[in-house]
Amino acid sequence: MRTLAFAAATLAALASPAFAQAPIRIGVPIGLSGANSVVAPSVVQAAELAVAEINAKGGVLGRPLALDVADDGSGATGAQRAFDSLVFQKKVDALISMETSAARNAGLPIVTRGKTPFIYTSYYEGHSCNRYMFVNAWVPEQQEGPVIDFFLKDKGAKTFFLIGSDYAFGRGMLAYAKQYIETHGGKVVGDEYQPMDAGDWTAIISKVRAANPDALILSTAGGVPNVTLTKQYRAAGITALVGNLGVDEGTAKTMGEDANGIYISGSYYTSVDTPANKSFLEAMRAKFGTALLTPNDLSVPQYEAVYLYKAAVEKAGGTAADGVIKALAEVSFEGPRGSVTMNKQRHAPLTMYLGQVQADGSVKILKTASNVDPGEQCPNLQ
Amino acid sequence: MSLLLDIATTAAILYAVALGLLIVFGVMGIISFAHGAMMTIGGYAALLVTQEGWSPWASFPAAALAGLVGGAVMERIVLRPLYRRPLDAILATWGLGIVIGQVITLVFGRQVQFAQSPLSGAINVLGVTYSQYRLLLVALAILLAGVIAFILHGTRLGLVTRAVIANEGLSQSLGVNSARVRFASFSLGSALASLAGALVVPLSSVDPNMGVPWLVGAFMLVLLSGSSLVSMAGAAIVLGAAQVLVSTYLNAVLGGMTIAILAAIILRIRPTGFARA
Amino acid sequence: MLSGSNLAPSSHQLPPAALIGGVLVLAGVAAVLAAPLVLDIYSVNVLTRSLLLAVAAVTVDLLWGYTGILSFAQAAFLAIGAYALALVSTRLGFSPGTGLFALLLGMGVAALAALLVGWLAFSYGASLLYVSTITLVFPIVFVQLIFAGGNFTGSSSGLSGFDVPDLDTESWFRVAGLLLVAVAALAVTFVRSDFGRLLVAMRENDLRCQYLGIPTARLKVSLFVVCAMVCAAAGWIYAGATAVVAPELGNFVSGTELVIYTALGGRATLAGPIVGAVAIDAISNFLNGALPFLWALIVGLLFVVVIVALPGGLLSLLRLGRERRSRLVPDLVEAAVQTPMQDGLVLQVTTLGKRFGSLIVLKDVSFVARAGDLVSLIGPNGAGKTTLMRCIADGRERSAGTVEIGGHSIRHLPPHRCTALGVGRKFQTASVFESMTVAECLRVARTRIERPSLFRRTPTIALPAAALEVVRATGLGDRLGVETRHLSHGEKQSLELAMVLALEPTLLLLDEPTAGLTGAERARIGELLVDLARRYRLCIVLVEHDLDFVRRISSRIIVLHQGNIVLDGGVEEATQSETVRTIYAGAAHA
Repeated sequence: MRTLAFAAATLAALASPAFAQAPIRIGVPIGLSGANSVVAPSVVQAAELAVAEINAKGGVLGRPLALDVADDGSGATGAQRAFDSLVFQKKVDALISMETSAARNAGLPIVTRGKTPFIYTSYYEGHSCNRYMFVNAWVPEQQEGPVIDFFLKDKGAKTFFLIGSDYAFGRGMLAYAKQYIETHGGKVVGDEYQPMDAGDWTAIISKVRAANPDALILSTAGGVPNVTLTKQYRAAGITALVGNLGVDEGTAKTMGEDANGIYISGSYYTSVDTPANKSFLEAMRAKFGTALLTPNDLSVPQYEAVYLYKAAVEKAGGTAADGVIKALAEVSFEGPRGSVTMNKQRHAPLTMYLGQVQADGSVKILKTASNVDPGEQCPNLQ
Repeated sequence: MSLLLDIATTAAILYAVALGLLIVFGVMGIISFAHGAMMTIGGYAALLVTQEGWSPWASFPAAALAGLVGGAVMERIVLRPLYRRPLDAILATWGLGIVIGQVITLVFGRQVQFAQSPLSGAINVLGVTYSQYRLLLVALAILLAGVIAFILHGTRLGLVTRAVIANEGLSQSLGVNSARVRFASFSLGSALASLAGALVVPLSSVDPNMGVPWLVGAFMLVLLSGSSLVSMAGAAIVLGAAQVLVSTYLNAVLGGMTIAILAAIILRIRPTGFARA
Repeated sequence: MLSGSNLAPSSHQLPPAALIGGVLVLAGVAAVLAAPLVLDIYSVNVLTRSLLLAVAAVTVDLLWGYTGILSFAQAAFLAIGAYALALVSTRLGFSPGTGLFALLLGMGVAALAALLVGWLAFSYGASLLYVSTITLVFPIVFVQLIFAGGNFTGSSSGLSGFDVPDLDTESWFRVAGLLLVAVAALAVTFVRSDFGRLLVAMRENDLRCQYLGIPTARLKVSLFVVCAMVCAAAGWIYAGATAVVAPELGNFVSGTELVIYTALGGRATLAGPIVGAVAIDAISNFLNGALPFLWALIVGLLFVVVIVALPGGLLSLLRLGRERRSRLVPDLVEAAVQTPMQDGLVLQVTTLGKRFGSLIVLKDVSFVARAGDLVSLIGPNGAGKTTLMRCIADGRERSAGTVEIGGHSIRHLPPHRCTALGVGRKFQTASVFESMTVAECLRVARTRIERPSLFRRTPTIALPAAALEVVRATGLGDRLGVETRHLSHGEKQSLELAMVLALEPTLLLLDEPTAGLTGAERARIGELLVDLARRYRLCIVLVEHDLDFVRRISSRIIVLHQGNIVLDGGVEEATQSETVRTIYAGAAHA
């Protein structure tokens, strides 16, 4: 059903106005099935809006943009097929997408072989470096401090229990968290992982009960593990403070009342009060109506990335990889998240917010920090 | 204490999931690999209930009904020719499972979705705060076992079914329409599988392949139990305990394979499993 | 010395299969080398993977189509090979040395795993269902172990970006293709050889094979191990070509996909799994964007249809699957008998007992039999006669007492070891190999004495004189090329007798040899048996209900009643015994 909608949207994007030249193809390998499938549709919507807006204003260098979406199954083998198909079969000009770290790592060798510019729009555990990749989302150095500091200082928490999905993101985020907690005076009393697709957290919840920590720090994959873990520990009556490093606003909405009170940190929430965000939200509502999925910290970077790519292509004067790569490090875009430039070792300084999920699923912003630096992510890439 | 509750609830869930498969195996001697797909059907029935805004309690009868119909159709069309070929029956039912999964994907989409739990929150039980829904599952598993036991031992259909389980040839020569017994058993087994799907969905999520991970555990449990409801309860408790203990004290991942390994070893040593010789 | 030409007309020699095979192999190699030149890079990429999966599917067919072992584990073995390269490369970097080490490591681990799985699965008495169950458990354990490995194995994410041999896409395709051609060629040679017939024999009637002295469990494990190693090698190439490994590569679902390819293509054809794997996997990849669900749905439906209605797979529609196997009819020659004729004690049964729980079937049974004896075991139904036979032929059966064959105790030896001691058991219902020809059955029967070739079909079968005589006397000599299922009941019985005699047994156990035979056939069998005892000095013990037959041919009669020996003596003694009469009349309970 959705595939038809995508196809229709792409056709529509191509149909108006009349373009003389072949479209610039943007490949979107994304988790339409698997762990990320909860949030992927919202990311595709954001991309569609960007493409529609750009095409309505004449496209990029006179050429329309077209989206090619492929399912990466939220995992390594699926990503390999998706990237393969996009780079070698569809021969896209660029890849712009959000994916699990497993999928990203599996796709990078193909990106290198195909020499395709790749803008990774998902927050992740940091330190992934590739000649062709740029990242416009946050890394732990930007995101974790606010939550942990808040627990330590404002809430007086001393003991922390860490739960994550057993893959690059889960491990990377929690490794950073552990080190941060311990250097700032807290104590980690538990550290547990489950495979990405695991749905049964019973044993870990029992351990949490036994350890009785002041706070839980969670870092699971995408949408599904977040929801199942939250459902289960809520049902088990756990009342510790909860900081979820890996949940976006849309997924939090899916959790319903289970998400109430969870602390989250990110670079975008719908409640961010800026004119740019307001007009963005209006444009989304106008385009998708009742089918609109909550824009979130995974989908908004996707929207901005399409514009960043447009700017880079225009600056480089064409879609050839080398020129685009050089330009991507220099161009900026003013969007719902403010001004974004991927000029710090392929990563971007961002405005970060600490928020708390409310009973109606909205996020109340508690603290704001501007221009937070991503730190030393890829010192070996210029 | 919470450990004991974990064991009890895990065993109950295993039991409920495997119950339908047990009936099919006992009567027909085939392991239906479509069992996972029937669970998925039940899960999506629960999802529909949530999407339509009905009471979550309605998901149970809705799932059972969906399973009943699905099972009846499957038995009629696909399984009849495969009674004498148990390995082929496994494969054919696996194929059916794939087909069902794809149809569900076409209709509902392939993304993961969530259904509402009829009972949320925790209550204080024997000094431990524990999930109400998990406790409910224990009660439901016992209830289901009781209902099936009543059907088997208290009704005419049950009597006839037990005869077919014991000796089909002899039953046929005594005038029992074993084809009808098989039909009823498979339909009932499928209904139970779907019901089990609706039961587990509030704990996790719904996607077109949600039934597959449960399939092997249920399969093992049934092999260990032969055709006895009681021995399956015993097996469920033993295996459930093993999984919980390994998960809690060692590693949640190792816990995931405990059931499979333990079952394989038990069957090697004692091919009849937990059933009385 | 009987010459072959008296017994069977020489078959027309078909064009040397080796020549056809050679041409096919060359064509395959040429296609593999040339294909990347005409195909686009995406197709080459996709097909490389498909070709490697085809290798794994070939092993599925060898195990399932030919030997009857439905294995869901082959994908896991492939994944072991892949992970070996990924892990070694991640930790040690890639070099020809580490690459070779990874290959050997992968194949070694796969072999060990197969050994363990095989030991669990192929124990005597294990049902086919149990075998498949174990092959199902293995991928689950494998995946969980990968998860348990955390950062070391990459857990759910898998491993990627590790160093691989520096080959371009086209070269990887050629490597994969050449492996497939090599594996296919070897597999075809293997299944067409005499040993290949053995696989089919084990699939059709494992029990008969055991009683022909063939160590079926050991053979199955060996085959399983070899197949695992082949899959691991394919996995090594897979990891090299894709530079990504993930647990899904070896899980239960991937294992079933290989089975689906084999079933859809055509079981027991070797071409079937290759066609199935390449076609389905390649098409799935090409449809990745467009109609993924519809395609999977179609495959699923086809699979169900094939399993239910078209077990030969889609190739059978083209009649390619059931190709005319070269029904080379070998010549029979006489073999030099290895066990010399003997005198003296052949069978000694001492205080043998058998109970099932509290039910006592045999109690305190003792008797002896010598070379040249023709002992008939009679008694009413339920007396324990067949049970006694079983206890003599299978060392694990009895609950008490001892059995010695030619002075050697059978202790608790399984049937194939008892056969090695000299026991030849013929079953009540003719237990032969239905889809094989008479000649092939005889060849299989000679396995214990003459190792079958792994590569060719030898054109002669050497049988001992006793077996040759049965073959000639019963007219089987003219029916060597006929499939056993087309034989009459009597002919099957004779064939089984010939097969058992081909073992060169010292003790022949016959269970109701006249059941279902016509009067003329009875007479002939009787003459044969007497001849065998007298001329070839076989010790024959048979169970019978036809008392006239017994009276005519036996040298001794043992009467069994309710698990005890009631009488053990000559024909005269037994015929005139009051006890025997009352037992058969059913009036007396001892």
